[in-house]
Amino acid sequence: MTQVILFNVLNGLIVGAFYALMALGLSLILNLSGVINFAHGGFLALGAYLAYSLAPYLGFWGGLALAPFLTAALGLIIERVLIRRLYGRDPLYSLLLTFGLAFIFQDALRFLWGAQSVPYQIPGWLASPLSASLFFLTGYRVFMVVIVALAVTALFLILGYTRLGIRIRAGTLDLDTVSVLGVNVRVLRNLNFGLGIYLAGLAGVLAAGMLGLSPTIGDTLIMPSFVAIIVGGLGSLPGTLAGGLLIGIASGLTAVFLPAGTEAVIYVMMALVLMVRPHGLFGDAGRLR
Amino acid sequence: MGKLQASLHVRRRTLLKAGVAAGALQFASPFIIRARAADILKVGVDNPLTGVYTALGKNENFGVELAVEQINAKGGIVGRQVQTVVEDSTSDKTDIAVQKARKLIQSDKVDFLIGNVNSSHAIAIAQVAAELKTIHIVPGGHADAITGASCQWTTFRVCNTGAMQGNAMAGPLVNKLGKKIYIIAQDYAFGHALADGLTKAATKAGGTIVGTDFFPLATTDYSAVLIKARAANPDVLVDLAAGDDGINSIKQAVQFGLDKQLKIAGMQQELEVVEGLPVEARIGSWLFEWYWNQPNVPHVAEFVAAIRKKTGKVPTARTWFGFASMWSYALAANNAKSIEAVKVAHALEGLKLPPEVALMPSEPYFRAEDHQLVPSVFIGHEQAKGTVDPEDLFVVDQVVAGKDFMPPASETGCKLVYPT
Repeated sequence: MTQVILFNVLNGLIVGAFYALMALGLSLILNLSGVINFAHGGFLALGAYLAYSLAPYLGFWGGLALAPFLTAALGLIIERVLIRRLYGRDPLYSLLLTFGLAFIFQDALRFLWGAQSVPYQIPGWLASPLSASLFFLTGYRVFMVVIVALAVTALFLILGYTRLGIRIRAGTLDLDTVSVLGVNVRVLRNLNFGLGIYLAGLAGVLAAGMLGLSPTIGDTLIMPSFVAIIVGGLGSLPGTLAGGLLIGIASGLTAVFLPAGTEAVIYVMMALVLMVRPHGLFGDAGRLR
Repeated sequence: MGKLQASLHVRRRTLLKAGVAAGALQFASPFIIRARAADILKVGVDNPLTGVYTALGKNENFGVELAVEQINAKGGIVGRQVQTVVEDSTSDKTDIAVQKARKLIQSDKVDFLIGNVNSSHAIAIAQVAAELKTIHIVPGGHADAITGASCQWTTFRVCNTGAMQGNAMAGPLVNKLGKKIYIIAQDYAFGHALADGLTKAATKAGGTIVGTDFFPLATTDYSAVLIKARAANPDVLVDLAAGDDGINSIKQAVQFGLDKQLKIAGMQQELEVVEGLPVEARIGSWLFEWYWNQPNVPHVAEFVAAIRKKTGKVPTARTWFGFASMWSYALAANNAKSIEAVKVAHALEGLKLPPEVALMPSEPYFRAEDHQLVPSVFIGHEQAKGTVDPEDLFVVDQVVAGKDFMPPASETGCKLVYPT
């Protein structure tokens, strides 16, 4: 039993890392633009389908490298054409818009690639366990954690040390002042949205290697990401990362005792955090400054 | 000059007359169409077209569509041409499925209702159909209750129950694969129906269930459940998940290498799922409720060709469910020479499907006591790549006839009550 619990803690960390990747993209957009992007799951699915279609020509690696960029490019266009018009209005407007976009994405994917799941092939050497006893530690899962770690490190480096990143962080704190100082806020928000969508596209390609690729692939992954943001604390990227890992472990441990409760437990956790620390675990202290 | 004008005048008059005549014809034609409308028999199709069951719902609807074309070509139902009214029930919102069923019966005035892939939707639609005295056939909702404790005099079902599949699969499972069985299933009516069916039948056949886990619908990560299952050290891992959940769980079990440590099997498997799996995950022993590659069974090749022409793909069990549902109603109503619900229901009871509808070796019939179709099932194993056809991903090892796995009607808990 101890072994099963330990396995599940380790496995929970792997799953949590994946939730965190999606949640970070959502969090970036929410922090700077105040947009709760319900279409994030749609972008995630699009990234996965693009990689699936590119794979016959560019292979798995080509798809993995290119698909998130193409998804981000569409994100830039959608922000420019649709979402930008709603900044400064009640957040309900952008929420409704992205909610509608999520449906449009799902139906468009169904129209283009069909309703039935399609098989997304990963390289054979990734699709097997690394050791017989730690059988849940497959090459692909380790690879996923490595990619997530690289992406998160790159994101934090961008935010910490590049001009764009510093402006995004400054804008998150006080967008008016940043604007008065001469920064083009429109471009800043556009690029920030693109960055968030890049992470969604990347998460989509990674998810497709582990799950069946169907137009609804984003739906089931999006809710744990929202919970990760709330548990970690709105406005805090390290909090979002911690939130993702925590719900992954909680879900894994629940599976040992009550598998039917693996979904419910993340919402119970969210309720508990909201009762004890309404601003989330790292709501203020964890904010990148 | 004047002559010319006169002739022009006449010509214009003629033209005007012709115009009026044409207009009158236009005006009259709606009456003709209206007269035809009374001769049209409407069929309501309330199946998922969005959400996780979209692929399954659409395939059932393709089967209905083909059946309607064939029925109309043969003169329709009691001399009336058939027209379908299709609604999206959604995959997971039972209230919407019910609302659509009411709309189809009360507003569109359909005479017959087909639906639903989702068992919970099917049970709820059956209640509406009984209340509004409309014949209803469930093509592909598998929960036992539909033709068991929740059975209705108006509702019939084409696909199997959990108990039927459990009985059919238990023998091959225990005798060929191993006695220690671990079950993973989805935590809703369908998953519980299959798990209960298998537990009873496998125990009877001498097997032991070493563990059963139910996971929430649309779970994405199965590692925790699989770690637990592996720790119980079973001979066979029986995966009862359907749709995308089936794909996700099998894909992950194979990535964990579980297929090399123990046997993987299931009960109901569907071509839609197998096609969504990467080649290395097309493994294990399963039960198909209908399979398209039956070289020696009459009429199957024509059916496959017709569906291929329509959809570009081979028919799946779902396509056959829809096809058989529509044809069953047509045959019963034509036998009864009426579309009056009570008469059609009695005509459906005991109705034997002719070979061009049955499309399987045995002669399926609707059992009168619970309105459940008694078909054959196909037990076999998956193959990574098709030999005769790229979509031939299943090898049938044995066909089991309904009489060998049907639980007695007295055990289903169904008590049909007809209106007085």
